[in-house]
Amino acid sequence: MADQARTRPVPGLPPADALEDVPLIDVDGALDRLWSVLTSMRLALVLILVLAALALAGTILVQAPPGVVADPEARSEWLNQVRPKYGGWTGVFDALGLFAVFESIWFRLVAAALTASTLACSIRRLPGIVMTATRPHVDVADAFFEHAPHREAVILREGPAAARRRVEATLRSHRYRVIVGSDGATFYADRFRWVPLAGLVGHLALVVIVVGALVGATFGFRDPDFVIAEGTTAAVPGTPGMSVELLSFRDSYYANTGAPSDYASELVLYRDGAEVARQTVRVNDPLRYDGTSFYQSFYGPAASVRVADEAGTSLFAGGVPLAWSTNEGNRRVGTFTIPERDLTVWVVGTGGPADLVVRPGQMRVEVYRNDGSATPVDAVSLDPNKPAVIEGLSFTFDRELQFSGLSIARDPGTPIVWLGCTLLFFGFVIRFTVPHRRIWIRIGRQGGHSRVAFASVGRGDVSLGAEYARLIEDIGRGPAATDIGRGRAATRA
Amino acid sequence: MYKLSEYAFVAGGLSAILALITSVAYAASGLRAARLQTSPAALTSRTIGFSAGPRTASIGLYATLLAWLAAAALTASLVFRTFATGHGPFANMYEFSVAFAWGILVAYVWFERRYHQRLLALVALPVAIALMAYATTIPSTIEPLVPALQNNLLLTVHVAVAIVAYGSFTVAFAAAILYLVQPEGGRWGLPKPGVLDEIGYRSIVVGFPFLTLTIVLGAVWADIAWGRYWSWDPKETASFVTWLIYGAYLHARVVRGWRGTWAAALLLLGFAATLFTYFGNLFFGGLHSYAGLG
Repeated sequence: MADQARTRPVPGLPPADALEDVPLIDVDGALDRLWSVLTSMRLALVLILVLAALALAGTILVQAPPGVVADPEARSEWLNQVRPKYGGWTGVFDALGLFAVFESIWFRLVAAALTASTLACSIRRLPGIVMTATRPHVDVADAFFEHAPHREAVILREGPAAARRRVEATLRSHRYRVIVGSDGATFYADRFRWVPLAGLVGHLALVVIVVGALVGATFGFRDPDFVIAEGTTAAVPGTPGMSVELLSFRDSYYANTGAPSDYASELVLYRDGAEVARQTVRVNDPLRYDGTSFYQSFYGPAASVRVADEAGTSLFAGGVPLAWSTNEGNRRVGTFTIPERDLTVWVVGTGGPADLVVRPGQMRVEVYRNDGSATPVDAVSLDPNKPAVIEGLSFTFDRELQFSGLSIARDPGTPIVWLGCTLLFFGFVIRFTVPHRRIWIRIGRQGGHSRVAFASVGRGDVSLGAEYARLIEDIGRGPAATDIGRGRAATRA
Repeated sequence: MYKLSEYAFVAGGLSAILALITSVAYAASGLRAARLQTSPAALTSRTIGFSAGPRTASIGLYATLLAWLAAAALTASLVFRTFATGHGPFANMYEFSVAFAWGILVAYVWFERRYHQRLLALVALPVAIALMAYATTIPSTIEPLVPALQNNLLLTVHVAVAIVAYGSFTVAFAAAILYLVQPEGGRWGLPKPGVLDEIGYRSIVVGFPFLTLTIVLGAVWADIAWGRYWSWDPKETASFVTWLIYGAYLHARVVRGWRGTWAAALLLLGFAATLFTYFGNLFFGGLHSYAGLG
């Protein structure tokens, strides 16, 4: 914040920097220059606007789904999808990383620079704020009282000694802290001297939020596409020893409009086989257990399938989520494996009333060998409860079920982010609603009376000006005040 | 309740239009007064009617009263609608538009009372009226809430806070427009540039923490409903852009070379970003899309 805010240098008062800041940390050459660049508010301003421009690009341009940009094949496929929309610009936007702005080097660089700048500005401001609060500059030159942004003078009938007592008493009754200067005739009075620190905290909160985000990205875990069919238990990804069971999934709709009214998954959570939590998870009601959260995200059909060998021994029994859809025919598909026979089974749902291969109510099983062959060993469309034999195994489709799509996340950075958000909000609210008040007062002799000069720094602020006016009026209205004595010098609200 | 809400909405719209008309008359009388002051010859010519004098106080008073009336009527409309729907009146584009207009009226009335600058109405009221006109084009039927919105507390607070921020930003926009249209030193009987600069700053001082709170509460809700506090959803990104622009404004105001005109220009940019964020779910889909017309 090097090029900050003095309206203009006020003669008599040391420049704001000298007033607010102790000498800078002594670093030489390049470091020194880097420091002065980082602490420049002009740079911060430009960085904010560049970040805003990048984020704007991220809202206007379609963003590639996560993971697509890193995968060359998926990337070119995705680019072909959006090419009709952006035409010749597609390649340009892609080269600039604008289809994944928030993972792009530009965004990261600017965000990192802004974070560094915020940190540097805060470090630079801190000593000055502490200094102003604890050891303020009291003895100012006479010229300061002639040129300060807020200034005023009144004549009191009483002599300087009585005037000093009155001024000090009035300031204290207005809850000001009063410090008497070395000449005994100058007073420094302030209120809310720690408020600038709140502004600093508000800025540092941004760094805290960035730290929280980094902690989450480094130590967190997230699976936004975890699917589980009704009646099955599956290991919780990323969390050894934990498994989750979906007892049932229910979707309901408003009778009059057909709009969805509720999605609810009955979940049971196990750790090492023992039940540790049980909850109906809804969109606004996740299951949270020991740092891991389960959110209702999406849902779809599933098939209850059984596979038995020649002797009748069960090789597979459970719900298969039909979580994918085929490119053609709009069929939903899901898959499971039979390791004992080295087989992979695809389960294919119906494509609708017009589907003649998988009729409504049927479920098709396609059995593949795990040798990379693209043609199935066999494929049969099954009616419910009518087993068919493939490769000597008996396949039975019991009934249709539902699957629930959960987002599972463990993000240790979240509490840090909430801490940052709290500091951010309250820091700014305090900084904006409580003005830091600082007044210098010098009492001189004028004839047999005394002349009291007031001066204050700070930006033009109507409410602050009004408060100073009230204070000065109170001082003038003391018991010995007379109307001959009030002379208004210059005021600038 | 639903009918009462509709009637109050119409009353609010009419009051706002009348308030705008009286404000224009008030401005015209002021313009005239300003011209009379600058050309001594005009002072001697005889003119008839109230607009001839210096800015007429009574018509200004009517403008203020009508703006108050409009704000009161929209308040009533939103209260009735809350009773009719059982949740905060922020669940679809109709409710949100009426609430936005309400936010503008309340912010305008507040700043007008504090700074005695009625002419802010020349910009603020047209925006509010446009939003109400837009609201009339959207079906106002009450639809039950989809699962994602079924969080009464957060739905109400998250959007109510946004409305306060948007209302303040509109006042800042009005101040910036009046600041930018007049040459340095002031003209046409418009508020002095220094006062407008102060009003712009004060409205951002109110609006910025409220926008911060909107985004934070949005993050809290996203963490509950979507499983992560931030997912670069277009709407949340757009509000982040808005937040950055007003953050830039707050810095610009104390950087040499950015003060004044450039700071005011940032207020225009910020308001454009606000509208972009507001209308965003109509065209950029994303996780907020259920808040659309449906």
